[in-house]
Amino acid sequence: MSVNNVTANLLRRSNAVSSILYNQYKVIGTQGRQFHETEGNRFAVKTATNPKPDWNRAVSEAEKIVGYPTSFLSLRWLLSDEIANVALHLRKLVGSNHPLLKTAKSLIYNGRNNMQAWGLIVLLISKAAGHLSVDDMEEDKAAGVLHSQRALAEVTEMIRTSHLVHKGLVNIQPGVYPEASEMNDMTFGNKIALLSGDYLLGNSCAELAALRNQDLVELMSSAVRDLAEAEFVGRRDNQNNPLPSIPPADRTGYAVTEWTLRNVLSAGALLGKSCQGTLKLAGHSDEIQEQGYNFGKHLALAWQACLDLGPFTGKDQTVPFSLCSAPVMFHIEHDPTILTEIDKGLESVQNVDYTKVHDIIVSGPGVELTKQLQKEHSQRAMEVLAVFEESDARTALSNIIVAMGDF
Amino acid sequence: MACIGSGRLCARVEKLCQFGHFTQVRRKVSTACVRFRQDIPQSGSTLVQHCQNGARSRVRGVIPGSRAVSSMQTQQPGSLPEFQVDPYRLIDDDLKDVYDDIRLELVRNTSQEELKTIATYYFDGQGKALRPMVAILMARAINYHKERSDLLASQRQVAMIAEMIHSASLIHDDVIDQSDFRRGKPSVNVLWNHKKVTMAGDFILAIASMMIARLRNDDVTLTLSQVVTDLVQGEFMQLGSKETENERFAHYLTKTYRKTASLIANSAKAVAMLAGADDHLADVAFQYGRNVGLAFQLVDDLLDFVSSSAAMGKPTAADLKLGLATAPVLFACERYPELNPMIMRRFQEPGDVEKAFEFVHKSQGLEQTRFLAKKHCVEAARLAQSLAESPYQKGLLVVSDFVINRMK
Repeated sequence: MSVNNVTANLLRRSNAVSSILYNQYKVIGTQGRQFHETEGNRFAVKTATNPKPDWNRAVSEAEKIVGYPTSFLSLRWLLSDEIANVALHLRKLVGSNHPLLKTAKSLIYNGRNNMQAWGLIVLLISKAAGHLSVDDMEEDKAAGVLHSQRALAEVTEMIRTSHLVHKGLVNIQPGVYPEASEMNDMTFGNKIALLSGDYLLGNSCAELAALRNQDLVELMSSAVRDLAEAEFVGRRDNQNNPLPSIPPADRTGYAVTEWTLRNVLSAGALLGKSCQGTLKLAGHSDEIQEQGYNFGKHLALAWQACLDLGPFTGKDQTVPFSLCSAPVMFHIEHDPTILTEIDKGLESVQNVDYTKVHDIIVSGPGVELTKQLQKEHSQRAMEVLAVFEESDARTALSNIIVAMGDF
Repeated sequence: MACIGSGRLCARVEKLCQFGHFTQVRRKVSTACVRFRQDIPQSGSTLVQHCQNGARSRVRGVIPGSRAVSSMQTQQPGSLPEFQVDPYRLIDDDLKDVYDDIRLELVRNTSQEELKTIATYYFDGQGKALRPMVAILMARAINYHKERSDLLASQRQVAMIAEMIHSASLIHDDVIDQSDFRRGKPSVNVLWNHKKVTMAGDFILAIASMMIARLRNDDVTLTLSQVVTDLVQGEFMQLGSKETENERFAHYLTKTYRKTASLIANSAKAVAMLAGADDHLADVAFQYGRNVGLAFQLVDDLLDFVSSSAAMGKPTAADLKLGLATAPVLFACERYPELNPMIMRRFQEPGDVEKAFEFVHKSQGLEQTRFLAKKHCVEAARLAQSLAESPYQKGLLVVSDFVINRMK
């Protein structure tokens, strides 16, 4: 048999394999989707707060524009030894109180805080901006993005997920879990959470390295740094839940400054740098890259403001909220006496009377100011979009911003 | 060394420890020709001291260009050491500011005081600094080999990065294992809460990763990111165990490579690549690091059974208490099959740890582990000898010996 023949054979065989894999992927993909929908429905019933623009529709239509969903929960990941291992161990934790289970669940459901949306945004901005690459092999023609950009979108999701998983560790303090079984669950849960997070982080490193672009590696690593740093800003209770810092004598700008600092580090930096990075891969100028950063940052902040509003404007107002969410921060700026109640949470935020704080805030200016904040950031993100030419991806991005809330 | 068991397992291990990379079987394992003595006073000026011992001294390897091919085989047991190179002294200038520079780099990257404190906690200069030391020695040895003179700034960066990745993994290990002491002081997870400690580990890794990117070398970045994935995969492997003895040993060796040797091997490879080494030379550096790394961990696992808590800075039989079956136990298992069920239940039942500890001491497990470690050291020395002769190349030889003879 000639060498040519052998090669042809190999090619044919690998084609067969990939088509089998592809079919399997489709099956898994559709199963996943059904699951999403049922979970999504349940979620929608619970928080049908904003019936006007349909968030889920905006997202699912946007997904069609850039091809298959970006989520790294794809076949490759389902087949990896380590993920199988984690799944096995997670089963042992079912029934315990470890927050890792919640994190795992939130990875799957289709809510607003959904991880996939981040990768999706990166792909959409990639498509909206187009690319200056001449290499045809590099492009995913159907979706209009480069393979490297798709990889970056995946890295974004991995970094974000890894951070959420690590944030979901439990601080085990001596004497808190007197029962040995409970203590074991917590220790074991922490172990799995830590390793899973590290696994994602390690893989994101490897995937970034494979893109062979050192500027990009540095940029994305600095986003990981920012996420870690975010967990040290300001006052914290025993479980590392954030508490607002004590405002200075002159309170002007207190709320926005602190809220922005926290959220740029914990969200804005990653989405901003990912958007910047994808434009870098596409060969755009530094100036356009900077615009990309601004887009991602403002979108993430608008998103955060929107999430912060939920517990104060939604139907179900018993949802716990963060003591550092924008409405609370604005209220402190307006009237710092609320801190006497909030400071009861210095040891554990659970000691705070949330209903009381909630009532005070709803009757103050916090909610209105947060809406303005969200609008401001949405506006800034929209402004950047105007830089790009009209396209389906650009429309999808603006639909997402609109769907987020009042714009 | 005389009492090395010749059981089935030994033959199997012989096969295992070549896994794929080297086909040479070294039949003669004599005592190594280089002795490392910390207590011998060093004269400041001469870094390489030839032992002048009259008739018994055989000065070998001083003729420039000679590669001292057969030194291993011709060495007689009991002969005196020929020279002492203290690798730490040799590269003292390169090494002395490594910890300061790491701390500077970390502190520069955050404005959060607490993060600074946690992140720099283990960079206090109290560690062995094995990883930066091997990286710098290898860098200088390869530079010499390539007829270059100075240590490149980028190579020194790799040494720092290696130590940082190592520390980040130590910090995460502390959270996982809930250890109380490390390097003779309270471990991080005792002093700060788990979430913050975890984040500090991520932070160090992120900074290391930024430093890697600043080297602006695609292949070096790929090589060093491989380390991070290896570390995590090794950690995952440690969660599970294998049913059969055979699989178990392979599992253990792969885990050891990923958790310990990969970092040393890949950082050695990285400094070689930065020196412009070709694939073959880079692989020599890699294999040297891999062998030293494996030997280092084997000895570590051995010392866990024999060393006192005071010397190690952590409690003994710590691995057993964590449910881990390391080489000495796996070897002991050959003679005492009673250990099998204990390994499978991860020494959870009362008395398991004590019983296993006793079995290991009654068996040849410790000697066999040392034997295996020694094989890797000999291989490392062989590789180091293929480099051009220089004080640094001698340093690499000393390191391979130091690894096996260390007491802590």
